[in-house]
Amino acid sequence: MQDLLYFSQQLINGLTIGSAYALIAIGYTMVYGIIGMINFAHGEIYMIGAYTALIAITGLTALGLAWLPLILIVALLCAMIVSSSMGWAVERVAYRPVRGRHRLIPLISAIGMSIFLQNYVHLAQGSRNIGFPALIEGGFNFSADGTFEMSLSYMQITIFVTTLVCMTALSLFISRSRTGRACRAVSQDLGMASLLGIDTNRIISATFIIGASLAAVAGLLLGMYYGSIDPLFGFIAGLKAFTAAVLGGIGSIPGAMLGGLILGVSESMTSGYLSGEYKDVVSFGLLILILLFKPTGLLGKPEVEKI
Amino acid sequence: MTTSLKKIVTAISTSVALMGAGHAAADIQIGIAGPMTGPVAQYGDMQFSGARMAIQQINANGGVMGEKLVAVEYDDVCDPKQAVTVANRLVNDGVQYVIGHLCSSSTQPASDIYEDEGILMVTPASTSPEITERGYELVFRTIGLDSMQGPVAGNYIASQNPKRVAVVHDKQQYGEGIATAVRDTLKDKGVEIAMFEGVTAGDKDFSSLVTKLKQADVDYVYFGGYHPELGLILRQARQADLDAKFMGPEGVGNKDINTIAGEASEGLLVTLPPSFDQKAENKSLVKAFEDKGEDPSGPFVLTSYAAVQLVAQGIEAADSKDPFDVAAALRSGSFETPIGNVQYDKAGDMKSFEFVVYEWHSDGSKTPVN
Repeated sequence: MQDLLYFSQQLINGLTIGSAYALIAIGYTMVYGIIGMINFAHGEIYMIGAYTALIAITGLTALGLAWLPLILIVALLCAMIVSSSMGWAVERVAYRPVRGRHRLIPLISAIGMSIFLQNYVHLAQGSRNIGFPALIEGGFNFSADGTFEMSLSYMQITIFVTTLVCMTALSLFISRSRTGRACRAVSQDLGMASLLGIDTNRIISATFIIGASLAAVAGLLLGMYYGSIDPLFGFIAGLKAFTAAVLGGIGSIPGAMLGGLILGVSESMTSGYLSGEYKDVVSFGLLILILLFKPTGLLGKPEVEKI
Repeated sequence: MTTSLKKIVTAISTSVALMGAGHAAADIQIGIAGPMTGPVAQYGDMQFSGARMAIQQINANGGVMGEKLVAVEYDDVCDPKQAVTVANRLVNDGVQYVIGHLCSSSTQPASDIYEDEGILMVTPASTSPEITERGYELVFRTIGLDSMQGPVAGNYIASQNPKRVAVVHDKQQYGEGIATAVRDTLKDKGVEIAMFEGVTAGDKDFSSLVTKLKQADVDYVYFGGYHPELGLILRQARQADLDAKFMGPEGVGNKDINTIAGEASEGLLVTLPPSFDQKAENKSLVKAFEDKGEDPSGPFVLTSYAAVQLVAQGIEAADSKDPFDVAAALRSGSFETPIGNVQYDKAGDMKSFEFVVYEWHSDGSKTPVN
């Protein structure tokens, strides 16, 4: 019983972090699915989302607002607006002018954008860790006779539920709405979609905006969950989310979700049963293994050479 | 076209070289290398303010051998790669004395370059024993060693009769070194070590670690590393209702841990150099800092001040500006500084330096623990 509680606790830890990875991974996978490039600045968009949310929370609390749901909703909206305009602007400034050139050019442009945004926040907000107020505290505790107590915090529940809602909304949007259909069309064949009268530029912008908004949601959630943010934290999270996207099959939205969860759980299980030192070894080893046997990732479709 | 361009280039480089030479002849340049930015910039602030104050006061008293000291400041972000770049820049700038670096992992690679290039280095903060273990002639410090700090922490924990202790570190030179010293001391005292494990510096999610600590049912956790990680561990441990006492080295003892961990930082135990700013003989110096609007209470402010002072006193004692003569003078002499009387052994370590256990409070203050 004791061991089972410990296992469940590690599973909860892993699923929490995994669902947040999945939210970020969506941004990588959607952009890749549509224009076939990797948006390395996406981790920074997530970081900017977290900073915006923190600024909004601090501002609202200073104004004397005390009703928690309102603070969270306003902070979330601010973060989503700032992040998505940032995502949109990054695409306009750094990717659109080089779109259609050799693959390496947008890649380098993306890395440059990532370094630029990171250092911009360094300058604007300082490079120190900033504490993020724990707004959602408490949780459920489960204990069998023994000493070990499993806890499921309200924060973790919030992360699961929010991720679930966002993912469902995104799936519905992609499968049902007009823009969603256009997204799918553009991802299948950009040239043909544009011949059929789809404004591809608008669709590409929309992809960046959607990815950035989800990253902003993750920024707020993880900022609160971890308890501190710094200008570099987008980089590591971005790397993990990118891994999740590749693991699940880059270009596939369900793949990003699955990849995120697998990565999160494998990380927490490794630190739980082996040692925290091997966490990254195991997750990236897993990535290499999966890519060796299934080069397109778990749910990726094999690419058929177009003739 | 080519010739005229060449001429211009030659003219510029000559004038730059002349400017450099002119500068060096009139003053003694003191390089200060440490983190101005990055996650541990707070410690860099202490280092820079201490060293600047010493330079200012020495100059006000007529300088060294009739020459003024000039501070040349470098930012290494506490990153080993940048530290090497900084060290090379110092060499190019013709600086002969360095106060720095701060993080042991930066000091170590930088000191290789200084030793090769004949530059005297005094670190006011790096506590890793390896730095002075290599038989270098030009490497000194104004701080104790992990091998002294670790036993202080280990002995304290052992004296509290704990059931089980976990020792965690950040896998970096400083953190792992000190954690190893603590573990060894505890083992010698017969304390049960439930786990000895590394985390990744820069990580944010410690929920798995906290769960593991809970499972291991430890009552003391020692963390070797810096405040960004320990702050988050404290906070996440509190959220998970982990009931254990935490302890860390001087790398976690600054007010940033309060902004990260909030209430969870109350009761944290920290080993720190003694509060030199509380000593009666440093009253006027403390006042000088306060008049400038600076806080002299940080652990590295007065050690940096002392480092500059030692360089100045060493130059005067050697009656030479050659770093090798100065190093020899530092090894043979005895010097009065705000951190007490300093005498060096052959390795470049101070013959005596003590660490004290403090209890940290959530408002950023600390009280000594007996």
